Amino acid sequence: MSSSHEAALSPDFLAEEVRRYHHFIVLALWLAVVTGAEIVLIFLPIPVAAILTILTLMSAGKFFAVILWFMHLIYDKRLLFWCFFAGLALAFATYAALLMLFSVDRIDTRWFS
Amino acid sequence: MSDTAAAHEAPTSTGIDHKKLIMWLFLASDCMFFGTLISTHLLYRKLFPAGFTDAEGHQRFIQNLFNIELTSFSTFILLMSSFLMALAVSAMHKGQIKSFRRNVLGVIFFGLIFLGCQVYEFTHFYHEGLTIQNSVLGSTFYVLTGTHGTHVAIGVLWLIMMYFYSFTGKLGGHMGALDVEIAGLYWHFVDIVWIIIFTAVYLVEYLGPNGIWGTGLPAVAK
Repeated sequence: MSSSHEAALSPDFLAEEVRRYHHFIVLALWLAVVTGAEIVLIFLPIPVAAILTILTLMSAGKFFAVILWFMHLIYDKRLLFWCFFAGLALAFATYAALLMLFSVDRIDTRWFS
Repeated sequence: MSDTAAAHEAPTSTGIDHKKLIMWLFLASDCMFFGTLISTHLLYRKLFPAGFTDAEGHQRFIQNLFNIELTSFSTFILLMSSFLMALAVSAMHKGQIKSFRRNVLGVIFFGLIFLGCQVYEFTHFYHEGLTIQNSVLGSTFYVLTGTHGTHVAIGVLWLIMMYFYSFTGKLGGHMGALDVEIAGLYWHFVDIVWIIIFTAVYLVEYLGPNGIWGTGLPAVAK
């Protein structure tokens, strides 16, 4: 990178980058711990519905942690978050619509074979 | 928005670099793409929970095929590659090109390990009798994880090119940092998709004595 660019970096900007650097390390450790917990969780003798709920929350937590910090959404303009959120919402809406359309417990699967 | 971000505001009507905005819009569309693939897999797992029949005519269950240790390892590898990518972007913002190269090499290495694990998994499943043609499970599983693997491979190629490009001296200044940030966005997206796949495709199969979908055939409408 050009030295002129390096020289143009203000002390505030560099301090912010150092702060983010520490956030990234903490987040990486947190992600590793949550992934480990997910693997342990599936073998615990607790009701399936409870495990499924916790797994969903843990995945959502990891998902949003990555998009907010690693992908800088928390530091960037709100518009970017809403652009991405629109795609995400449509993806969930697709899943919900498919679930309703197929009403999975009442489908005659012989039609597919 | 932070003061730092404000200081680097792009001279556009939105205040966001066009390249970055387009990348986020692309990721939103890719989100819908993967959303459809994941939804299809989950719906067909519900409709056809019985697994698949191998070449010898034996009924097989996916729970017996999955190797949770291998999948957990590749998940961990991908998460850590995301961490290194964040460090690479940060290094580029600070103008530390050597640190950027080190971190990108790490991301490429981890990406290749992930792809190696996926190739091993696919080969193992194929030899156990699960093909893309012999069952609905095979079709949805290979299409979903294969599409994700293709995304990872594209990301690895992109980063390799960026790594070599950095030696030309043209990857500098604000625009260079922006290019690296955009590559980073793509890589993190690949990571978040895997976070969902890991839970929705792999972990849920271990819930309950016969997996979350059960092993019996679904009820048929009268």
